[in-house]
Amino acid sequence: MKNAIALLIVAAFVSAQTSRSVWDGVYTPGQARQGAALYANECASCHGTALTGGESAPPLTGGEFFSNWDGLTLGDLFERIRTTMPADHPGKLTREQDADVLAFVLSVNRFPEGKIELDHRTEVLKQIRLEATKPDGTQK
Amino acid sequence: MHQSEMNGQDALRCAVFAGLAFLAMVPVWAQQPSTKNGDWPAYTGDIHGSRYSPLDQINASNFNQLEVAWRFKTDALGPRPEYKLEGTPLMVKGVIYVTAGTRRSVIALDAKTGELMWVYSLREGNRAAIAPRQLSGRGVSYWSDGKGDDRVIFVTTGYRLIALNAHTGQPIPGFGKNGMIDLKEGMVTGTGQQIDLETGEAGLHSTPLIVKDTVIVGSSFKEGMTVVTHNNTKGLVRAFDARSGKLLWTFNTIPRPGEFGGETWENGSWATNGNTGVWTQLTVDEELGLVYLPVESPTSDFYGGDRPGDNLFGESLVCVDLKTGKRKWHFQIVHHPIWDYDLSSAPILADINVGGKAIKAVALPSKEAFLYVFNRVTGEPVWPIEERPVPQSDVPGEKTAPTQPFPTKPPAYARNYLKIPDDLIDFTPELRAQAKDAAARYKTGPMFLPPVVGNPDGYLGALNLGNASGGTNWPGAGYDPETHIVYAQAHQSALFPISLRTPPSGFSDIRYVMGRNDTEFRVSEGPGFGSAADAPQRKPTPAPAATAAQPATGPLIVQGLSIVKPPYAVISAISLDRGEIQWQVPYGETPDAVRNHPALKGRDIPNTGQPGSVGLVVTKTLVILGDSQNTTTPSHPRGAMLRAYDKATGKEVGAVYMPAPQSGSPMTYMVDGKQYIVVAVSGGAYSGEYIAYSLPSQN
Repeated sequence: MKNAIALLIVAAFVSAQTSRSVWDGVYTPGQARQGAALYANECASCHGTALTGGESAPPLTGGEFFSNWDGLTLGDLFERIRTTMPADHPGKLTREQDADVLAFVLSVNRFPEGKIELDHRTEVLKQIRLEATKPDGTQK
Repeated sequence: MHQSEMNGQDALRCAVFAGLAFLAMVPVWAQQPSTKNGDWPAYTGDIHGSRYSPLDQINASNFNQLEVAWRFKTDALGPRPEYKLEGTPLMVKGVIYVTAGTRRSVIALDAKTGELMWVYSLREGNRAAIAPRQLSGRGVSYWSDGKGDDRVIFVTTGYRLIALNAHTGQPIPGFGKNGMIDLKEGMVTGTGQQIDLETGEAGLHSTPLIVKDTVIVGSSFKEGMTVVTHNNTKGLVRAFDARSGKLLWTFNTIPRPGEFGGETWENGSWATNGNTGVWTQLTVDEELGLVYLPVESPTSDFYGGDRPGDNLFGESLVCVDLKTGKRKWHFQIVHHPIWDYDLSSAPILADINVGGKAIKAVALPSKEAFLYVFNRVTGEPVWPIEERPVPQSDVPGEKTAPTQPFPTKPPAYARNYLKIPDDLIDFTPELRAQAKDAAARYKTGPMFLPPVVGNPDGYLGALNLGNASGGTNWPGAGYDPETHIVYAQAHQSALFPISLRTPPSGFSDIRYVMGRNDTEFRVSEGPGFGSAADAPQRKPTPAPAATAAQPATGPLIVQGLSIVKPPYAVISAISLDRGEIQWQVPYGETPDAVRNHPALKGRDIPNTGQPGSVGLVVTKTLVILGDSQNTTTPSHPRGAMLRAYDKATGKEVGAVYMPAPQSGSPMTYMVDGKQYIVVAVSGGAYSGEYIAYSLPSQN
């Protein structure tokens, strides 16, 4: 019985931890602007100025992008960026800069802005779900 | 001695002796491992490009029962994980051999369990970090003398040819220098200037072709869209002795003065241009002694003003003599190439029967979605290939070829240009109208629409389809030698607008590179460039000043959907006896972005298929290939599916779950009576993994 209660508590905790999604305003406009500049310098040559991808890199918007990331967390996407990007110098950017780029990607994909900056800690970002579909059914 | 007078023992002795005598008469190379024995001894199964295995334990009746037999995660094979695992393993005598990881290690695995038996890697430092073809590559090749000297041969990221002992993973001392050959030696620019062995541009990520005792290796270079010079390294193909590594012959894909085709480089432009590598798989007819080379574009991909003429052997299928490397015949698929229609796929050797006449043919799948079919002895097209007038360039300095070759049979097996408005999305009148508006910003027209100097007041670019990344790309197609049918997956929604701009001062000696003069100049790097194990890890840099955010959607996407009408990609069965498409079905299943789109709610949308280029494996009864995208559907959780199609009809007869999209072409083999299918998966958040499937064990 004790074990069952403990499990319920853990389950509730996990649920609370992942209750936020990209639709809840998880970045600021200023952060996205910083990210835009970083993106232009570090990412656009492969992913395209409009994030539509190219021969050498996948798009960061549209169906193909969401097929890779819909249902995962911002932490998953952040870790992919942090550990492998920019492709020619992985690890070049700081965690804060990676979070700025991620904020920019969210803004281009028209996820709502918020008042608090996107965190740069992976474990915190893992609590934010990346969902293509808005709770009211709107599709990216 | 009469047979009737032999006793049992005599008969057995006699039979053994006769068997040994027969084996002694059969050339050693003929005793090599084969798909007929359940092996998968070459990248395409055999050296004919077929991707065919006659195995049939896994079939339509049981495909859905497949289980994961073993899996091999490749993260530890380099300092960081790889997300673009493209290898197809070999399986010989119970052992898997393949490349993997950001350092392009070679691994040997127990084919029944996936247990790691040995691993080999070479630390090449900056040479690999700046290589034009990075990451783990497509795999390895296998050679055996039939007496226990068994070798695994591959090309490193830094362009070295290495022979390993297949049993230990150790370099073969007698091959080249301590088991390796520096392939950059002999690579030249200009009129013959040796490239720098450390920084010179050359590499390869396809697998060597091994036939008898000969190893044949191609060459490749960086992305050709924003080149720093038209005088890039020159492509070539070389053959080496499999035992010693001795160079046997070289075929120059840019002919030198006096060589056949030299006049197709007008104004002596052979001397100041490069590329024309051979970066995809080669094939060979070992009996005829003929090798088939699919050659890529010359420098640069989209501007040829510095190389007037047809530019042989750019974008040509070239047949050379196996022993000498001398040209026997060629066919140029695109004259004066400026569309990046690299010959992307392994040529397929096919013994066919057309109108009662037996023909030894070679069929070339292509980005153009044409299957070019030739008599492989003479080079004569099996069905006429017509030279037809094509649009001409108005870019200053460019001189387009007046005509291009168009096969009359088989018909194109996928869309290869955008027909306005027929090929535009038509789910709703609103989407069609938006797609028309989006397309109107670009120059559109038939195939071979030349690049334009794009500008926001005119055309943003020339809208081509299939040239850079569509049609049948590097994974190639497959072929059933019993039914004479080619099976090809083709991406038919890969729009590629080509716009040229002048490069920034001091960047290049070429007049035009890809881009637009009204936008900031960007260098286009190749797939995976800079991702090699030894790529420099720079310190963080301060953030530059903020600039305005980018547009919310791409110019060729409306409401999150491609402007191109589905199916986004197709699988086709093409009869080489009749030159006809036998069946064609959408590839994969409808992407989430379409199925869940609010504008399409309540509409009955037939399967749209998925965009992307993937490879396949052909078995006795099935064509097997995996999805290029993750989907989440009522029938399966988030992931991709490895699908089986009935070879005869194209009907999907089974699907098994993969945790991530297929990123390397599948293969199949049998060990101890059990058939396996192995496929490389990766992408998005999922790092590279080889997954083996087999049927559940019977109690």
